[in-house]
Amino acid sequence: MSVTLTRNERQFANFISIIIFAFGVFLAAAGGNDPLSVHGFIIIAVGIAGFFFTADALYKPEPTEERLSYYYDEPIKAGVVLSMAWAVFAMFMGVWVASQLAWPNLAFEGAWSSFGRLRPVHTTGVIFGFGGNALIATSFHVVQRTSRARLPDQLSPWFVLVGYNLFCILAVTGYFIGITQSKEYAEPEWYADILLVIVWVTYFVLYLRTIARRKEPHIYVANWYYMAFILVVAILHVVNNIAIPVSLGHAKSYTAWAGVQDAMVQWWYGHNAVAFFLTAGFLGMLYYYLPVRAQRPIFSYRLSILSFWGITFFYMWAGSHHLHYTALPHWVQTLGMTFSVMLLVPSWASAGNALMTLNGAWGRVRDDATLRFIMIAAVFYGLSTFEGSFMAIRPVNALSHYTDWTVGHVHGGALGWVAMITFGAFYTLVPSLWRRERMYSAALVEVHFWLALAGTLVYVFAMWNSGIIQGLMWRTYTEEGSLAYSFLDSLVAMYPYYIARAFGGLLFLLGTIVGAYNIWMTIKAAPLAVPRKSDVPYSDAVAVPGE
Amino acid sequence: MAELFHRKLERSAIGFVLAIIAAASVGGIVEIAPLFTIDQTVEEAPDMRVYTPLELAGRNIYLREGCYACHSQMVRTLRDEVERYGPYSLAVESQYDHPMLWGSKRTGPDLARVGGKYSDFWQVAHLTNPREVVPQSNMPAYPWLARNGLDMDDLAQHLRAQRAVGVPYTDEMIENASRDAYGQASPNSEHASGVVDRYGEDTQIRAFDGVATRVTEMDALVAYLQVLGRLTDAAFEDTAAPEEAPEPIE
Amino acid sequence: MNIDHESLVAFAKSWGLFYLIAFTICVLIYTFWPSNRKKFDKAKKSILDQGDEPWE
Repeated sequence: MSVTLTRNERQFANFISIIIFAFGVFLAAAGGNDPLSVHGFIIIAVGIAGFFFTADALYKPEPTEERLSYYYDEPIKAGVVLSMAWAVFAMFMGVWVASQLAWPNLAFEGAWSSFGRLRPVHTTGVIFGFGGNALIATSFHVVQRTSRARLPDQLSPWFVLVGYNLFCILAVTGYFIGITQSKEYAEPEWYADILLVIVWVTYFVLYLRTIARRKEPHIYVANWYYMAFILVVAILHVVNNIAIPVSLGHAKSYTAWAGVQDAMVQWWYGHNAVAFFLTAGFLGMLYYYLPVRAQRPIFSYRLSILSFWGITFFYMWAGSHHLHYTALPHWVQTLGMTFSVMLLVPSWASAGNALMTLNGAWGRVRDDATLRFIMIAAVFYGLSTFEGSFMAIRPVNALSHYTDWTVGHVHGGALGWVAMITFGAFYTLVPSLWRRERMYSAALVEVHFWLALAGTLVYVFAMWNSGIIQGLMWRTYTEEGSLAYSFLDSLVAMYPYYIARAFGGLLFLLGTIVGAYNIWMTIKAAPLAVPRKSDVPYSDAVAVPGE
Repeated sequence: MAELFHRKLERSAIGFVLAIIAAASVGGIVEIAPLFTIDQTVEEAPDMRVYTPLELAGRNIYLREGCYACHSQMVRTLRDEVERYGPYSLAVESQYDHPMLWGSKRTGPDLARVGGKYSDFWQVAHLTNPREVVPQSNMPAYPWLARNGLDMDDLAQHLRAQRAVGVPYTDEMIENASRDAYGQASPNSEHASGVVDRYGEDTQIRAFDGVATRVTEMDALVAYLQVLGRLTDAAFEDTAAPEEAPEPIE
Repeated sequence: MNIDHESLVAFAKSWGLFYLIAFTICVLIYTFWPSNRKKFDKAKKSILDQGDEPWE
C-alpha cells in the first residue's frame, strides 16, 4: 500500500500517524482509571503501526507518473477484504446474541458477553463494519469508473478507510467494556464521534474532488446516491451526537437532547440512517453493478432521477413513525405516518426499475448466481419498503411496535436487500479488481446464494410469526374483560421462534463464510497473463464480467 | 478545495450538493424545530424532581449494560398497555432524561412504571440470576453488580455535565453528590438526612442490595429501578382516557 | 423562547407543504426537460463501455 503513495504523501501520512499517536497518549493519560484509557492505548497502537508502516516506505522509490493512467484500486481492494472480515465477525456475533435469547446461559455470566453489550457489537459490526466498508469501497470504484477519472490523490482514500475502521474498532471494543451512549445505532462516545466527523469530511471532499475531475459531462445517477449518503449521514451524525462529556478524562458523555426531543432526534437519525446509509448508498451500488453485471442499461434513467429526489425528500419526514402512541405530539406522528406511506412510491419506482432492467435477461438471472443476488436484493428491497410503509400506519404499528415483527422487518431489509446487493456487487467487482478471469468457484457462489436466501427466509418468517403472536397476546382480553396473558406467557411462546431465528442466522453466516473463502481464493489465484479485452481503454467492445 | 470552485462542471457539482441539503433538511427541521417550544405544551408537573446522584449512577449502569435493547420505558396510550403497566407515559416524565430510554423492543416488559412494583429483595435476586425467580426468563444474569463497588468519586462532575445540558441541579447538589450517593444507600449514616433535604421527603433511602456497609453497583441500579415512574405523580392525575386498540384480528 | 408553539407548528405544517409542491415541480421540470433527454440517454449507456482506465 505505502509504495503507491508519493514521497510527499508518505511524509504526510507519517505526520498524521504522529498526531494519532499523540491523541492516543492524551486520551490514555487523561483517562487514568476510566475505560477511556483503554481506547487511548488502542489509538496509540494504531498511531505506532501507521508510523512504522509509512516510515518504512519513506525512502523507497516513488511510483511512476504512469500510475496516473490507471484507476487507483488498492484502497478498494482493502475495503472489500475489510468488509468481508467484518461481515464474518459481526454475523457470528448476531448468531450468538440470537442464541442467547433462546439459551440465556450462553452469556456464561460474563459482563462483556451479556446480551445488552453484544447486541450493539452485532448491529455496529454489520451496519458500519460490513455495510460501511462495502459502501466506501464500492463508492471509490464507481466514482472513478463513471467519472473516467482517477482518485485525485493516494493518501485521502487510505485516511478515510483506516480512520473509518478505527472508528468501528473503538465502537465495538467500547461496548465490550461498557462504553456506550445508549443511543440506538449511534452508541459510540464523543471522541469516536469526533474522529468520524474528521474522516467523513475527508471522504466527502475526496468524492467531490474526484467528481470535479470527471471526463464525462454528466454525473451518473449512482454517484448521486453515494453523495446523498455521504452528505446526509454527516448531518445526521453531527446533530444526533451533540453531547457534553463528563470531562476530557471520561469516556462518558450526556447527550444535549432530553426526553421527547431526544426521542424525535434519535429516530430522525435512526430512521434516516436506514434511509441514507442502508438505502441510498446501496441504491448507488444497485444502479451501477446491476447494469454492468446484466450488460443492459438501466430501464429508465428518468425514473431513477425521480426516485432519487423522492427518497431524499420523503425519508426525512418519516422518522416519527417509530414513536406512534407515545408522548410525542400527535401531529408529528401523523406527519411521519403520511410521509412513510408516500415513501412507497419512490421506493417501488427503484425496485421496479431494477426488475424491469432485467426483463428480457431472465435466462442470465437463472444461470448467473451473482446476477441473482442482485435481482433478489431488488425484490427484497421492494418487499421491505412495502412492509415498512405498512408498519408505519398507526393502527398496524399498535400491534407491531416493540415486537419481533420490527426485528423481522429490519432483517428482511438488512439480509435480503443490503447484504444481497453487496455480495452481488462484490462478486462482480472482485475478479475485475484483482484481474482474475472469474471467481475462484462459481459453484460456491451458487452455494452462498442458496444459503443466504434460505437463511433470510427462515429468519424473517420466524420473526413475523413471533412478532404477530406476541403483539396479539399482549392485547387479548378474556370474556370477563381482563388481560388474557401475562408478559411471561408471551415470552414462553417465543422460544421456538427464537431457536428458528438463530438457525436462520446461522445459515446466513455459513453463506457469508463460504463467500469470504471464495473471495480469498480468488485473490490468491494467479492473475491473467493478458489483460482482459475490457481492460483496453474505451473501446466499443462490450464484455460481460465473469463470463 | 479551490479546484472545486473553478470550472463550470464543478459548480454544477456544488449546486447539486446544495440541492441535496435543501431536499433532505426540511423534513427534519419541520419535525424537530417545534419541539424546541414543546415545554409550552408539556403537562405541568411542579412535583417533578431530578435523579439523585445514586439513581443517576444506576441509570448509567442501565445504559452501560444496554438494558434499553430489551426493555422500553414508554407506556403507549393504548388500553391494554395501561392495564398491563399503569398510566401511559407523559412527555414531562422524561424531561430530564439525557438520553431518553423509551426503547424500541420489548423482549422483556416495559419498565416505565416498575418503581415500587417489586421489593428490593426481589430486584436483587432477579438481577443476580433471573431464572432463580422466573424460571422461564431469558434475561442475562448480572451477578457482578453486587460484587462491584460503585465509583462515587466523580459524581459531582457527572451532575455538572448534566446541568450543562439543562438539568436543574443546584450548586449544593453538585457539591454533595458523592456524599448523597453514599447516604442514600446507607440509611444509618450521617449523610442520609442530607439526601432528603435536597431531593425531597419521598426519596427512598435504603440499603437497596441488603448490605448497609458498602455501596455497590447493585445499590445504584436498584435505586434507579425503584424510582422509575415515581419522579412525579403527573401521570396518575386526570389525563385523557387511553385509546382502544384497533379491532383485533378475529 | 418567545415564539409560541402553536404558531411554529402551523408555520411548519403549511410551509412544509408548499415546499414539497415547489420541490416536486422543480424535479419534474428537470427530469422531463427535452434537452436533457440526450444527456440522460448517453449517461445510461455510457457506463457499459467498460474501458478500465481513466480518460485523458
